[in-house]
Amino acid sequence: MSEGIRRRDFLKVVGAGGAGATVLGCSTQKIERLLPYVVADEEITPGVATWYTSVCGECPAGCGVLVRTREGRVVKVEGNPQHPISKGALCPRGYASVQGLYDPDRLRTPLLKEGGGFRPLSWDEAETLLAQKMAEGGRTLFLTGRLGPSMEALVEALASSVQGQRVEYESLSEAPLREATRLAFGVDDLPTYHLDQARLIYSFGADFLETWLSPVAYHRAFARMAGVDDHASKGRLVWLAPRLSLTGQNADEWVPLKPGSEAAVALAMAHVIARARGNAGPYQAVLDAYPPARAESLAGVPAAVVESLAERFLEEGPSLALGPGVAGHHRHATGANLAVHVLNWVAGNVGRTLSLGQKDQAAPSRPFRDLQEALAAMPGVGVVVVMGTNPAYSLPPSAGFRQAFASAGFRVAFATGLDETSALCDLILPDRHFLEAWGDSAPRPGVFALQQPAMQPVPLFDSKQAGDVLLSVALRLGKDLGGVTFYDFLRRRWQGVAAEAGHGGPFEDFWREALRKGVVEIETRPTQESPGLRPPEASVSFEPPDLEGAGEFALLVYPSPRFGDGRQANRPWLQELPDPVSKMTWHSWVELNPRAGERLGLRNGDMVVLRSSYGQVEVPVWLYPGIREDVVALAMGGGHEEFGRFAKGKGVNPMVLLPTVLDEVSGTLSKVVVRVSLEPTGVRRLLATTEGSADQRGRPIAPAVSLAALTGGGDKGHGKGHHPDLRELQGKGGFVPVPTEGRPEDFPLEGSRYGEYDPEEKPRWAMVLDLDRCTGCSACVTACQSENNVPWVGEEQVMRGREMHWIRMERYYEAVDASHPGPVDIRFLPMLCQHCGNAPCEPVCPVYAAYHTPEGLNAQVYNRCVGTRYCANNCPYKVRVFNWFTFTDVPEPMNWAYNPDVTVRSSGVMEKCSFCVHRIREAQNRARLEGRRPLQDGEVVTACQQSCPAEAIVFGNIRDPRSRVSQLARNGRAYRVLDEHINTQPAVIYLKKVTFHEAPEGEH
Amino acid sequence: MRRPWGVLALSVVAVSAASAFISLQGPPPSPPPSGDPVQPIAFPHNTHAGQFRIDCQYCHFSAERSLSAGIPPVESCMGCHTVIQGRNRPEEVNKLREYWNRGEPIPWVRIYKVADHVRFPHMRHVSPQGGNLDCSECHGAVEEIEVIRGVAQPLTMGWCVDCHRKKEASVDCTVCHY
Repeated sequence: MSEGIRRRDFLKVVGAGGAGATVLGCSTQKIERLLPYVVADEEITPGVATWYTSVCGECPAGCGVLVRTREGRVVKVEGNPQHPISKGALCPRGYASVQGLYDPDRLRTPLLKEGGGFRPLSWDEAETLLAQKMAEGGRTLFLTGRLGPSMEALVEALASSVQGQRVEYESLSEAPLREATRLAFGVDDLPTYHLDQARLIYSFGADFLETWLSPVAYHRAFARMAGVDDHASKGRLVWLAPRLSLTGQNADEWVPLKPGSEAAVALAMAHVIARARGNAGPYQAVLDAYPPARAESLAGVPAAVVESLAERFLEEGPSLALGPGVAGHHRHATGANLAVHVLNWVAGNVGRTLSLGQKDQAAPSRPFRDLQEALAAMPGVGVVVVMGTNPAYSLPPSAGFRQAFASAGFRVAFATGLDETSALCDLILPDRHFLEAWGDSAPRPGVFALQQPAMQPVPLFDSKQAGDVLLSVALRLGKDLGGVTFYDFLRRRWQGVAAEAGHGGPFEDFWREALRKGVVEIETRPTQESPGLRPPEASVSFEPPDLEGAGEFALLVYPSPRFGDGRQANRPWLQELPDPVSKMTWHSWVELNPRAGERLGLRNGDMVVLRSSYGQVEVPVWLYPGIREDVVALAMGGGHEEFGRFAKGKGVNPMVLLPTVLDEVSGTLSKVVVRVSLEPTGVRRLLATTEGSADQRGRPIAPAVSLAALTGGGDKGHGKGHHPDLRELQGKGGFVPVPTEGRPEDFPLEGSRYGEYDPEEKPRWAMVLDLDRCTGCSACVTACQSENNVPWVGEEQVMRGREMHWIRMERYYEAVDASHPGPVDIRFLPMLCQHCGNAPCEPVCPVYAAYHTPEGLNAQVYNRCVGTRYCANNCPYKVRVFNWFTFTDVPEPMNWAYNPDVTVRSSGVMEKCSFCVHRIREAQNRARLEGRRPLQDGEVVTACQQSCPAEAIVFGNIRDPRSRVSQLARNGRAYRVLDEHINTQPAVIYLKKVTFHEAPEGEH
Repeated sequence: MRRPWGVLALSVVAVSAASAFISLQGPPPSPPPSGDPVQPIAFPHNTHAGQFRIDCQYCHFSAERSLSAGIPPVESCMGCHTVIQGRNRPEEVNKLREYWNRGEPIPWVRIYKVADHVRFPHMRHVSPQGGNLDCSECHGAVEEIEVIRGVAQPLTMGWCVDCHRKKEASVDCTVCHY
């Protein structure tokens, strides 16, 4: 087939590699074998990582990735710094994609339904059977998720050649936004938002840091806009929605609207602005109907607040309003998005902070109605082929998918694992994971990227790329769609990209360069100037919808930051990743305002039955001040009935509570549509949460500084204040005073028992974390887990407090009030080993397993550790984690994901953040081989730093006064956690969050 | 990493933490025997490296640029043995050709191994910019040994540290353990 694959072919000796990386341990008796390659692979040097560019397939945003392989197997996925969407970062779902590749529950062979079960069959049989069924007559329906452009073209070509049809269904579709854009501006596509060019953002529930459109790209843009700059200036986010999502937690102000009232507030603001500027355009009559007083009655927001928000929207510009996302979709969702467009238009933002005609091609925007119509016609369908979508799980049962699907003649699924929809099928074809398959993406106009296989298919699974199967089936049907393999098909289509890029030379050069760089960027026409606003259509309603049912609470169903709509639920890294909002792992929870909880006598962990007219779920309560009192919220993604051992039976699926009600204008399935009752069961469960306290309790853990104090120079910063005398415990006993001013670069001190070294030559490693940029997204947690072989421990062990993450994303509420509009101040603090210069863990270790290195690292030597756990008990930051069991014995082939550069730990060993010492050593080794020393600033990048989409982490040598880390350490916002109180002298320096409001009492 | 040492040390610490400390300060455990040294092919290092003076890195190709020294691909062996039958043990060369014809890797028995909690970067020791050590410093006079049946050096931490001290290389734990 392709030359590209053959060059990486390594003849079934997969992964054993030239180094014979068999993990037999240092057992003395076992014979270990060294298996060489039969034919050397020119791209692989055993012991040296090989990187491939590709495109992340975990959501349609199309982030460019770099895939790290060792001895031919994928060990890590990182963002591609050259790709304009990801710019080097990824979200937790992207980092966890490796676990999808090595999912032990992936399908191992094609399966055919027979009797009550499935029987394996060969690929030849499977393809013949599919071709035969398609030839037998009856329409063929292709039901797909959002596909890459070439795959979509192939499916369309096959569908049209057999007089079939393709229908796209994505549960997180932004169809109302697309329809509103068409109605407002006559552009049938999604707009592109330029968050980094705004100074004031009003988000009506668009969770752009989590799942909305292109979260990684927007994440970076938001951090650049909202992070304080050198001139003490920063942008502001106002959150207008009934619940604070992670994005809402990052807001500076919260206007807790009634559910579904976004349009009324947006139009009332537009009303005020249009009144001032006299430019309501064709919307004069609509705006007249929504004065601020109307918003007050519909949304519960005081008219004066609406007036003031509107004035600021104009004055504090450039401004930008973002429409409700999936969590805000209701019967009038198009109206809500349209109202936000009108607000942007009257404020003059169109063409400035949002552009049109810059097609945001990747995000799904087809409505549910497409699928609904296809389901209605299902009895006439001969063959239905499902690919990349799971409607049996993600639709409410009331949508009748299962019944309609059963009426099709023959059901086929392309899937990597057995999900709810493929379990209903007659024929299941194991698809390749995106890291093993060819594909492409075009996330923006002028941006094209190839998805290339980074390794040979995992040999345990007899999978085949869906594109190859479709082409093979087409050939069996006598159709030539332009290739025998999908690789040929893709290359043929990319000749068009080469032509568009104006590439003159041989196509092969273009192709190789595209694979090397991971992206092709073609200059596109300039952004369209602000188009006129089209007159309103009578069919669009801006009124808040009536909610069904008599329950006390409106139900919000929102996409999970960890699982999206549930498609990543079978990844233990994500199951155990504490939800960025609730800090919950493994199971579902219902969010309830503490005042409502008090009224009902409910506490955290009390099991309740949530009941609507359509269904019920039993779920523990989690009291959350960031949600209105009349609302409860459930995350999508739980309650799988199939989908592998890590997802099955974990949590609940909120869709069972929902009716099938459409936003009639766009045809989107409504999520804000019912009221639910909440009935205590009297049972209480232990929550699998990693939250210690949401309150700092007066301790200066995550202090903030107000913008006024910062500009007025009122804050002198920390790390420069008075320190108590440092006393050091000497080996012979007794404390000896040590003179120091307490600067991070001074530790460990010269002449201390921690060792002596040449200050000129040796670096002292330190990290700066900017809390004004950190959004709490937790990408670093998963990236660290992937990099450092950090085990997951399961729900039971998390409940015992034995989670093993090396980074704990702490979250503290300072100001959250759901009862009225006002400032919101929620602080995030990634807590990792502080690599203290005066570390409490070190002197208590009886075997010197915890000690200080001459480079300033607080090291943990696994082979010395005997597991007394004294160090963890003495650590004031609670960052040391203990292997209570050997958690690293994972089902084959999940162990393939282990990073061979980091020791895999077993039971009885303490561990913690190592400052990615293996990356330091790798950089030092590289520098040495290249004959240059010392290391340059920025040459060592830790895994968390690499992963951060907000660019909040900087790592480097604090002894080098020109390094970024030492420059940032001199910033006025710099402080070290608890340092002034317990004199630990950490090498981790935080920069305080900057708030717009005056910091409340207890501010440090 | 399954660590019998850890279990051992844990049982020691049950007596007292102090004695655990002492036990780790004591003489190092004897090097692990390397298992059955019967190799699938009786490859004579002395013929190749001694008699014919083939450079170590002709076969162990990545020693100067990788953590791993590299085990030669079967293809490398066949580069010569397609035409060279070998005078001493032609039947062993036939075995090689059979592996090649079957497209199978040769399952060599591993002799040299450090524990899983040790990172040993070959390139830092062997390359001219690194330690510039001769392979024989650790692997002995390979050119004189017909079949390598055991390690030439103890491969214990004490042995490593002795050399690091002599060469003034770092003896910090995290140079090798992470």
